Amino acid sequence: MSTELERQQRPVEVTEGELEALIGDRALARDDHLNAPGFVVRPDDVQAVLTDLKEQAGFDHLSCLTAQQYEDRYESIYHMKKYADPTQEVSIVVPTSIDDPVSQSAEPVFRTADWHEREAFDLVGIDYEGHPDPRRILLPETWQGHPLSLDYDQEKPQIVTLSEHANPIQPDHHDAESDTMFLNIGPHHPATHGVLHVKTVLDGETVVDIDPDIGYLHRCEEQMCQQGTYRHQIMPYPDRWDYVSAGLLNEWAYARAAEDLADIEVPEYAQIIRTMGAELCRIASHMLALGTFALDVYGDFTAVFQYAFRDREVVQDILEDLTGQRLMFNYFRLGGVAWDLPEPREEFIAKTRDFLDELPAKVDEYNDLITGNEIFQVRCTNTGVLEPETAKDYGCTGPVARGSGVDYDLRRDDPYGYYENLDWDVITKDGCDNYARVLCRMQEVEESAKIIEQCLDLLEDWPEDDRTVQANVPRTLKPDADAEIYRAVEGAKGELGIYIRSDGTDKPARFKIRSPCYHNLSALEEMCEGEYIPDLIASLGSLDIVLGEVDR
Amino acid sequence: MVEAITPIALQNDETILLPERIGDLTGLDQFGVGGELLAAFLAAFIVGNLMLAMTGVAGPWAKRKITAAFTDRIAVNRLGPAGLFIIVADSVRLLSKELVIPEQADRPAYDLAPIVVAASALLGFAVIPMGSGIHLADPEVGLAYVFAIAGIASIGLMMAGYASSNKYSLLGGLRAVAQNIAYEIPLVVTGLSVVIFAGSLQMSTIVEAQAATLVPLGPIDIPAWYALVNPFAFVLFLVANFAEVGRNPFDMPEAPTEIVAGYQTEYSSVYFVLIYLGEFLHIFLGGAIIATIFLGGPAGPGPAELGIVWFLIKIWAVFLLTQWLRSAVPRVRIDQMIEIGWKGLLVLSFANLLLTAAIVGLIT
Repeated sequence: MSTELERQQRPVEVTEGELEALIGDRALARDDHLNAPGFVVRPDDVQAVLTDLKEQAGFDHLSCLTAQQYEDRYESIYHMKKYADPTQEVSIVVPTSIDDPVSQSAEPVFRTADWHEREAFDLVGIDYEGHPDPRRILLPETWQGHPLSLDYDQEKPQIVTLSEHANPIQPDHHDAESDTMFLNIGPHHPATHGVLHVKTVLDGETVVDIDPDIGYLHRCEEQMCQQGTYRHQIMPYPDRWDYVSAGLLNEWAYARAAEDLADIEVPEYAQIIRTMGAELCRIASHMLALGTFALDVYGDFTAVFQYAFRDREVVQDILEDLTGQRLMFNYFRLGGVAWDLPEPREEFIAKTRDFLDELPAKVDEYNDLITGNEIFQVRCTNTGVLEPETAKDYGCTGPVARGSGVDYDLRRDDPYGYYENLDWDVITKDGCDNYARVLCRMQEVEESAKIIEQCLDLLEDWPEDDRTVQANVPRTLKPDADAEIYRAVEGAKGELGIYIRSDGTDKPARFKIRSPCYHNLSALEEMCEGEYIPDLIASLGSLDIVLGEVDR
Repeated sequence: MVEAITPIALQNDETILLPERIGDLTGLDQFGVGGELLAAFLAAFIVGNLMLAMTGVAGPWAKRKITAAFTDRIAVNRLGPAGLFIIVADSVRLLSKELVIPEQADRPAYDLAPIVVAASALLGFAVIPMGSGIHLADPEVGLAYVFAIAGIASIGLMMAGYASSNKYSLLGGLRAVAQNIAYEIPLVVTGLSVVIFAGSLQMSTIVEAQAATLVPLGPIDIPAWYALVNPFAFVLFLVANFAEVGRNPFDMPEAPTEIVAGYQTEYSSVYFVLIYLGEFLHIFLGGAIIATIFLGGPAGPGPAELGIVWFLIKIWAVFLLTQWLRSAVPRVRIDQMIEIGWKGLLVLSFANLLLTAAIVGLIT
């Protein structure tokens, strides 16, 4: 109702004709995707085209880069959007030859292309000319071959050695001339939220330089999804990306992409259940983010951490009642959800309402304990500063972007599910610091509660003979050959996107995950250089990363 | 046992100290210097074990129970009444762990550090009057002694920090030193303001001075505890003390989540236990100093024999406060902490000292 109004002035739609004129001769052909017009450009035109799109057409969000190999060529797809209106999309398709897969790097135009192109090189094997740091990112340095390329032998085991001639225990002064100290933070460290390894250069207690080393939790999720059938075998995987309780949000990302790909309508009733379940997950996820951030700043498993877990526990119980599982829900189905609300419905609804009724008092308690605490404020304000333009450059989304004043929320800007029919607000904060991000999450919890409340009202009064939880979906789904789609939803951490290319079989030919944590983590460097170690830890905590989603 | 051979000539005449009493009771004082030494050793043994036993209760059990109460949990409750026997289980567990010593550790320093940390705190209790006749030594410079001996702990932390040959330990050790220097001065200067009131550094005199009546309140006389006489100094001392013993919000030297465990990162098994003992002893010693110079020492309602009970209650109250802060207060950043120390507490403590001196000068 109100959401459409709040997005003040969406920018004027750029028509396809204007895009064609802008790209001009550089467009070799069209390669339209289901979500966006696609233009094929030459490998050495990448920077020029992306710059024009960014500066003249306002496509300031490089949402994702998908790399893939065909029989006759490699292909990089730059999925571009606008922060001001993510429904305006364009795909830039860059084919490169099979013998010499070299493409121009987009890193000078979008910083976020740095990590994306490293991943494309790592997994698919495309070289990006002019890339400032062409190393592997997910796999070990000495890995042989590129696992998602067609000629890679999936069956052959590999023993990963350390790099040749590198002595891992040699004295590691970063620079013999200066007084800096090199410090490995992680992969086993109390505050890295999983197996993250941050190579840090310190000058005393000041952080001079950091280099996040990821991939310790890489589980070939993309490849596993490519080996599963659309209908049933892929849905369990999303639960394992952001595994700390955002399961339903992740499942929705796949559901949305696959449903749009196979043209499946979801019944309204199922959409309401999805919306409610997803927001419950968001609350659970934000509670965990709050608790672990407090752990990073307070320094111990203190009251705040335990309170956050206590309250998250209630959400988990509700989700367990709904889905039968506490973490790996596997509750969404293409075309709906697995089953209706648990019987007796009244009991479930009353339990959920009880939780919502108690929530405001709990949020007040958090405000007393955390955000109102002066030491906390001194610790968190003006630390880990992420300017809005930098956030956009790194492709940051979710509470990280909204804490930097970037008014971007796919639930409102690119509506799906039942969000556009409900009354709620997008929270943005202008602080750009750790404190703003925490406040943002805490207030989003309240907004989520509002959404759940309205969903419950709707579900309670829904006529009994109209409770369709699933559309009729064929047992075997075979989307049209060469259909390509990139779709994103607002996950707990930000924009969680899925790219699927169909080859006409019942399994995807390419399945690419755009993880919000991946982008948010890449901005860490900007946030903490020149600050102290405690701020590095706090900034890392305020990004709320889950390594399962970063590494996939 | 340094405390046992403190020159007897320096003692206050009226107080009978624990070594003398033991010498009396056991008849050891008939055997000259050797007998006195043995009596003193016995007395130190009793006090030391009392403190170690308290640490044993505090570490594996009380800390868990208190934190659990603050965070809506139950904590240990399986072994024995209220889970008390976890102390036994934990002792066995901790002592039976493998002692892992890093290859490049600087050996003598690495091994000595835990002992220095634990011993420095234990030695401090020598001059604390605990009531019920438990008082090992009463030198005229008691207060100076206790600050000096407690300050030795920073050497231990520094040793642990650099000798572990671990960068996290080094950072922790450096932080410990920076912090101790920044907070030792306000601590001592605030302690001096008490000395101005009492006119003596001797612990027994300071306690006696607090026995006077501040204001009569009906049938109860409010005693002139320095916490009531000068609450400002009390708060200053409390804050500086938390920084001195490295407790929240000033637990930078260990700072789990930032620098893993700081100076104790590389310590395991017995050494770990020693460092942990040392930390708890330091909290208790801090509590003991606060109790002695601000809370009337062993004073409390009831017969004088109950002194030790009141004294322990006061120590545990301070311990409870540290655990409360641990559960509820965020840690400040290292630079902020140094700033609070040098720019805030130091100035305030000197202001307090001058003010106290002026007021005491005017009154007398």
